[in-house]
Amino acid sequence: MTGGPIALRVNGVERRASDVPASERLLDTLRWRFDLKGTKEGCRTGGCGACTVLVDGESTLSCLTLTHEVDGRAVATIEAGGESPTMERVRAAFVAEGALQCGYCTPGFVVALTGLLEERGRAASRDEMLEALAGNLCRCTGYAAIGRAVERLRAEAP
Amino acid sequence: MVEFDLVAPRSADEAFAALRAAAPDGAAVLAGGTDLLPDVDEGRQRPRVVVSLRHLPWRTLDWAGPSLTIGSTLPLRALEQDPDLVRRFPGLAEAIRDVGSVALRHRATLGGNVVRAAPTSDLVPVLLALDAEVEIVGPRGTRRLPVDRFVRASRRVDLGPEELVRAVWFPEARPSAYRWQRVRPANDISQVAVAAACSPADRRWRIAVGGVAPRPVRIPSAAEALGAGAPTAAAVARAARAAADAVAFPTDRRASADYRRHLVATLVERVVDAVVRAEGFPR
Ligand SMILES: Cc1cc2nc3c(=O)[nH]c(=O)nc-3n(C[C@H](O)[C@H](O)[C@H](O)COP(=O)(O)OP(=O)(O)OC[C@H]3O[C@@H](n4cnc5c(N)ncnc54)[C@H](O)[C@@H]3O)c2cc1C
Ligand code: FES
Ligand code: FES
Repeated sequence: MTGGPIALRVNGVERRASDVPASERLLDTLRWRFDLKGTKEGCRTGGCGACTVLVDGESTLSCLTLTHEVDGRAVATIEAGGESPTMERVRAAFVAEGALQCGYCTPGFVVALTGLLEERGRAASRDEMLEALAGNLCRCTGYAAIGRAVERLRAEAP
Repeated sequence: MVEFDLVAPRSADEAFAALRAAAPDGAAVLAGGTDLLPDVDEGRQRPRVVVSLRHLPWRTLDWAGPSLTIGSTLPLRALEQDPDLVRRFPGLAEAIRDVGSVALRHRATLGGNVVRAAPTSDLVPVLLALDAEVEIVGPRGTRRLPVDRFVRASRRVDLGPEELVRAVWFPEARPSAYRWQRVRPANDISQVAVAAACSPADRRWRIAVGGVAPRPVRIPSAAEALGAGAPTAAAVARAARAAADAVAFPTDRRASADYRRHLVATLVERVVDAVVRAEGFPR
């Protein structure tokens, strides 16, 4: 198969595309076919985490994922909004702590942390939360405020 | 964008047929894709057909007494979250948590890591210390090979063009540990790394060093220096020196040979200390 149709459930909405090339990355499908520009491209080699999305709830580097490999699955991006109460909570913590400067890395951090909280629930420790962010780079080096957002989420754990 | 065809066979036989149809050199296998896709993007591999393993029933974790078989396509993240694996194979769990990042490990697999056979692999050293074997399937049947013989050099393993790694087998749970030195904890490559394990059956040690070309290696002289069971401080010092002397460390942009020799001795001391403290250590 050189390409073909795919169907994804993105942020709760059925999305389809015909003729998606076999080599197309989930990052490009989301940004250029579905116009969801919140997911960012940083390095395109797996090293920065800016492209992180959730696939069936698991944080995934969309630059290293073929779209066809996740055909039929549920994808959540930073645009999930009210579809994901956990993501709303993480986003609110980032806002409250001012955990962003230029904001380019922010969707990746928020999505990665959302994935960890959904995976581990109440059991998520501070170290696990920080570990889940260790693959995300912030070029503005705003890590201290991101650390405070993590602390805030710990303190208000439901 | 580099173009290729993608097939996702439903059985191993279908996969062999797809590999044969694209032979020679036309096919590449995709598990998590975290090594393959960068290779394709940068032109190190130019497959016409990519054979995805996603539909094969190999995402398994099977215990049989003290032994464990890990399916080749089970994502690493599932392994590090298995409480029995963490308890009974602590060194393997530590090494897995050192691979890339959480998001990478949701896709990256053990099979992909051994077949890539990177000199800097975080998993090959601990596989060597645990005497792991790869289970290989192909059109002519199944065979099994110790990782020490399977891995030859970077991107070079003993695998035929129509063969696949189905699983990695570990003969026994072992008190084990993995320690490394690198600049950034996540998404970085170790300047040098050491894995150690002590068998509850024969009380003998296995030591392996990673981060060295052409491939991670066992250091029998270091293992012997440790004797059986809990070593004395003098024995640990001898093992540390043996490891530093046994490997011809390179000087490159990551570290000098001298620094690596210094590191490996310290890492041997730390890793042995961690194994002695692990649950089930044979006294
Ligand atoms: C940003 C980044 C950071 C990384 N950090 C680390 C690290 O810290 N430590 C580390 O050890 N590695 C690291 N890696 C390398 C990589 O993620 C691991 O080697 C991973 O385990 C590979 O698994 P995969 O399933 O993604 O392999 P794939 O890319 O799918 O495959 C790798 C190779 O093995 C072949 N293959 C895969 N499965 C099979 C099979 N079952 N049978 C036969 N052939 C097969 C493929 O054809 C390919 O040649 C990193 C990679 C990236 C991109
Ligand atoms: S763009 Fe995917 S990790 Fe950097
Ligand atoms: S806020 Fe600018 S890259 Fe992180």
